[in-house]
Amino acid sequence: MAQHELRSVISHNRAQGILTAFFVKLARFSAILGGLVLSALILLIVVSVAGRGLNTLMHELIAAGFLIGLARSLLEAGVGPVTGDFELVEAGVAFAIFAFLPLAQITGAHARVDVLSSRLPPAFNRTLDLAWDLLFAVVLVVIAWRLWGGMLGKMRYNETTMLLQFPVWWAYAVSLIGACVAAIVAAYVAIVRIVEIAAGRSILPSDQGAPG
Amino acid sequence: MSNFDIGLASFAVLMVAIFLRMPIGLAMFSVGFGGLYLINGDATFALARLKSETYSTFSSYSLSIIPMFLLMGQFATHGGMSQALFKAAQSWLGHLRGGVAMAAIGACAGFGAICGSSLATAATMGQVALPEMKRYGYSGGFSSATLAAGGTLGILIPPSVILVIYAILAEQNIAKLFLAALIPGILAAVGYMITVSIYVRLHPEAAGVRPRASTRQRLGALVPVLPVLVVFLVVVGGIYLGLFTPTEGAAVGAAATGLIAFFNGGLRGKIWLDSFYATAKSTAMIFFIVLGAAFYNGFLALTQVPQELAAWVVARAFNPWMVLALILALYLVFGCLMDSLSMILLTIPIFFPIVSVLDFGMGPEDFAIWFGIIVLIVVEVGLITPPVGLNLFVINSMDRETPIARTYGAVMYFVGSDVLRVALLVLFPGISLVLVRLLY
Repeated sequence: MAQHELRSVISHNRAQGILTAFFVKLARFSAILGGLVLSALILLIVVSVAGRGLNTLMHELIAAGFLIGLARSLLEAGVGPVTGDFELVEAGVAFAIFAFLPLAQITGAHARVDVLSSRLPPAFNRTLDLAWDLLFAVVLVVIAWRLWGGMLGKMRYNETTMLLQFPVWWAYAVSLIGACVAAIVAAYVAIVRIVEIAAGRSILPSDQGAPG
Repeated sequence: MSNFDIGLASFAVLMVAIFLRMPIGLAMFSVGFGGLYLINGDATFALARLKSETYSTFSSYSLSIIPMFLLMGQFATHGGMSQALFKAAQSWLGHLRGGVAMAAIGACAGFGAICGSSLATAATMGQVALPEMKRYGYSGGFSSATLAAGGTLGILIPPSVILVIYAILAEQNIAKLFLAALIPGILAAVGYMITVSIYVRLHPEAAGVRPRASTRQRLGALVPVLPVLVVFLVVVGGIYLGLFTPTEGAAVGAAATGLIAFFNGGLRGKIWLDSFYATAKSTAMIFFIVLGAAFYNGFLALTQVPQELAAWVVARAFNPWMVLALILALYLVFGCLMDSLSMILLTIPIFFPIVSVLDFGMGPEDFAIWFGIIVLIVVEVGLITPPVGLNLFVINSMDRETPIARTYGAVMYFVGSDVLRVALLVLFPGISLVLVRLLY
């Protein structure tokens, strides 16, 4: 191989390496955001459960005629379940799951059945993987696009949640961020599969997630 | 082609796609989409449904229990609870014949009480117990088989991610299902311990001897296990007693487990992030399958296939028990090929309408609970059935010196114990239902 060809291959690989590193970082960052939101929801629920428990306890104390002053003042201070925790959990968990999608995409964590394909030639499997990852990218783009459509609908009708009265489209909007990142990462994965077939080697780390 | 034909054909297409390595969630989603396109003549309806379907699936309050339990399992894995459980079980059981293997089973059962996933239980306990079993002269094949089987306790003993999914599909109460799984889960642990003791009597060379621990050591080993016990009692007990919803229980459990892991020094920077990554991958994978299944099942319901199949089974007046046996056999075969969650999502919407019209001599709710527990166990048998059981591969990847063929031989004893237990639960529905009847 001539010197300049070699150099071009190396720089090509480096560009690929930098790109892959960028998308892996993006997917991880997204997963961390999702994880933080999930943790926040967990704390919110714990606070709400504790508040509800205390509230019940104070009412029982008053009924039993014990520590009435303390119980009254606590109840007046608003000790009780968090209003609308249910709605916040629904909106938050949707965001978290959308934000988790990119990492599953770039690590190939989606469950699949390998029984038959393990007996087929690797080139055939690579082609299959390319086909499925292309389709996956298309599906995730469609999902993001329809989510956008759904959000516009919620905006048009000014739909709000029951208790907290916040506009439902806000929840759609934050989910849309995750859905877009997932679509972009999925598109990158599909492109990488094409390069992998052309180069005849793996570029992305593969790692099946743990089902059930 | 009538809608009914499209529905039937879609199942064949789906199976081919899945066996051609197509990610299962993607396959269900795409076939469902294609099916809706064929039924309606264009994609307008399918695209309109997608406007809200993805969001409403991902924002389900009852499904939000899943990422919380997965995060809790990650905290438990990194929080040193697996070591504490195994140490305690070993000091009480280790001196018996095959005692270290029994201890591994016991520790798996304990870990299963705070973790809702089989693979995670097998992987976590494998790391702790495999080296110890080797140290006391246990053969590689027997050790791997024990841990692969023990891992299935992760899903049998509540909390269980699969039961959550089943509860939603069959429109049943999650708390009641958790309660119904408790006795079968304990039976499983006891059955596996008996299996161990039979195995080491038939193959004395497979197990070494461990000296008896002193009473002081035994009692001392129990102390680090207390937090695990408290978390289990609070979470599962709280859900059983109706103190909080299953989702609230999962949140309280995840927070408590995270706190314990933090104080055990298990949650430093990088491990914290790793917990997020692992939770993200499993959660995204599960929810994409749930989304695909929701989409596919929505399409299938429009084709009337599940209803027509159920009507056909009733009209032919098949023996209910034969139908049940056939379905369980199908689960056993497919459980060897596919992960349990995908299988439940794929089959329950079709099988459940069929079996729920058959008369097994009990009320519809009792039946739904009983059927769920049996299906749960049968699909888990697939996880340890050679040659493709996933748990076997998880354990095998940790112990490269043991050829997987050795594990295959030993694990058949555990499969035997599973089959026996399924038979017991089928013949005596009371085993699953007694606690539900007592508490509700």
